[in-house]
Amino acid sequence: MKSYFDKTHTWGRIWTVAALIIFLMMPVAFSIHLDAWPQAGYFFKGLASVAIIFYPTGIIEVISYAPLLGAAGTYLSFVTGNIANLKLPCTMSALETSGYSVSSEEGEVISTIAVAVSSIVTTIIIAIGVLLMSVTGFIREITSPDSPIYPAFQQILPCLFGAIGATYFYKHWKITIAPLVVVLCVLAFNGGTQVGVLIPISVAVALIATHIMYKKGVFGREETADNQNG
Amino acid sequence: MDFKSSPFMYAVGIIIVLFVLAQSVFFLVRAVKRGKELGISSEKMKNTALQSALFSIAPALSIVATVIVLSGALGVVLPWIRLTVIGAIQYETSSAQSALNAMGNAAGISAAITDPEQFTTVAWVMTVGSVMPLVILPFVLKKLQKGIGKAMGKNKVWADIMSAAAFIGIIIAFVGRAILGTGDKSLSTIGDGAGVLSVTGLLSSVGFMLLFSFLVKKFPKLKKIESFAMPLSMFLGMGMVLLVNYVFPAQYLIEWRY
Repeated sequence: MKSYFDKTHTWGRIWTVAALIIFLMMPVAFSIHLDAWPQAGYFFKGLASVAIIFYPTGIIEVISYAPLLGAAGTYLSFVTGNIANLKLPCTMSALETSGYSVSSEEGEVISTIAVAVSSIVTTIIIAIGVLLMSVTGFIREITSPDSPIYPAFQQILPCLFGAIGATYFYKHWKITIAPLVVVLCVLAFNGGTQVGVLIPISVAVALIATHIMYKKGVFGREETADNQNG
Repeated sequence: MDFKSSPFMYAVGIIIVLFVLAQSVFFLVRAVKRGKELGISSEKMKNTALQSALFSIAPALSIVATVIVLSGALGVVLPWIRLTVIGAIQYETSSAQSALNAMGNAAGISAAITDPEQFTTVAWVMTVGSVMPLVILPFVLKKLQKGIGKAMGKNKVWADIMSAAAFIGIIIAFVGRAILGTGDKSLSTIGDGAGVLSVTGLLSSVGFMLLFSFLVKKFPKLKKIESFAMPLSMFLGMGMVLLVNYVFPAQYLIEWRY
């Protein structure tokens, strides 16, 4: 009999292929409806400058995020997008609060609930936002640069990752130092380095430094016991 | 009527939104059923759902803001669809801009598109440019996770510490940008240049979260708020940003990397 994990991968593949077909049908439907097809030259020129960055990034994202989101969480996250700023924070906080490891079956269940609920809530909020914007212009007012709460919207990411990171930094301050120093050095050299480039660098440094520290016995009994308990 | 926002376009958008919702509900129901079989308490699963919902509200509003920014050029429907599926804020603006520039449209997304051919070209580039993860996932994910599972199964203590390190690596990328990252000028909705406000948001949300953790440890009666401590800390951090923004004179609100 197939295990829960095996069935998750079977369903995940079916939904992913279905999603791929539906998404690709969107520009086809627009082109048929408007009787306007893109010229190959313009299409490939426009695609080339995007693909050169986003195709390799897409592959790196799958490899970097998959171990952290669980199986169903990964299939769902890559269909709905906004992973780094939404799905990943939701999964991280859910696992941290529940105390399960993502590699356990319980962790797989919790990460799936977190990603699915986040996808549903986000999809509904965007749909309501679009409706309100079309009808009343309300959302345009609260999120426009003239809105009194606009400065808070500009700082969502520092607030989001500060809240998630706090307990990790407190519990694992030894792990935090190496990636922080490297990321700050990269940004001091080029402040425009985007998160998509910083994440693989930061994760690689954190993993290598942590492995070396583990081998050298830097982590105390308390830290490893903390982890064993989730 | 604007061809970019016709009833047909909305119908396509609604079909895609319903698909995304159906997929999410399908996996949610499966996970809850499995959670019950594994003996995970309903309260734990409910708290996970509530925490996740609370966490999603503010970033979702910022996605709506991106839809608004792109709607000036592309109408409402195309940005709505693109940011509901696969989309990411950083990706959508640059791919729309790239497609328009390829057609010699120098104004890019700062002016409304009136030519249906330009519009469909943008739709094609945005869609085909973003599907790479969906193409490779069905082939690699199972093997990737089996490999990781094997490596992790050998030494649980090492595996858990490495898993924490991977999480911290991701968080640090965002923390680093809040401290030293320059803002992205192409995204008028995300003025994320490092400065007094970004550091205020970062430090105050860290501070609130640590305070909540301390209170829960000290007063076990407060255990119930534990699930909501993270989203609450995020909102309080945003509140502190507003407070500093309006209380401090403008000359002190330095953005050192703009």
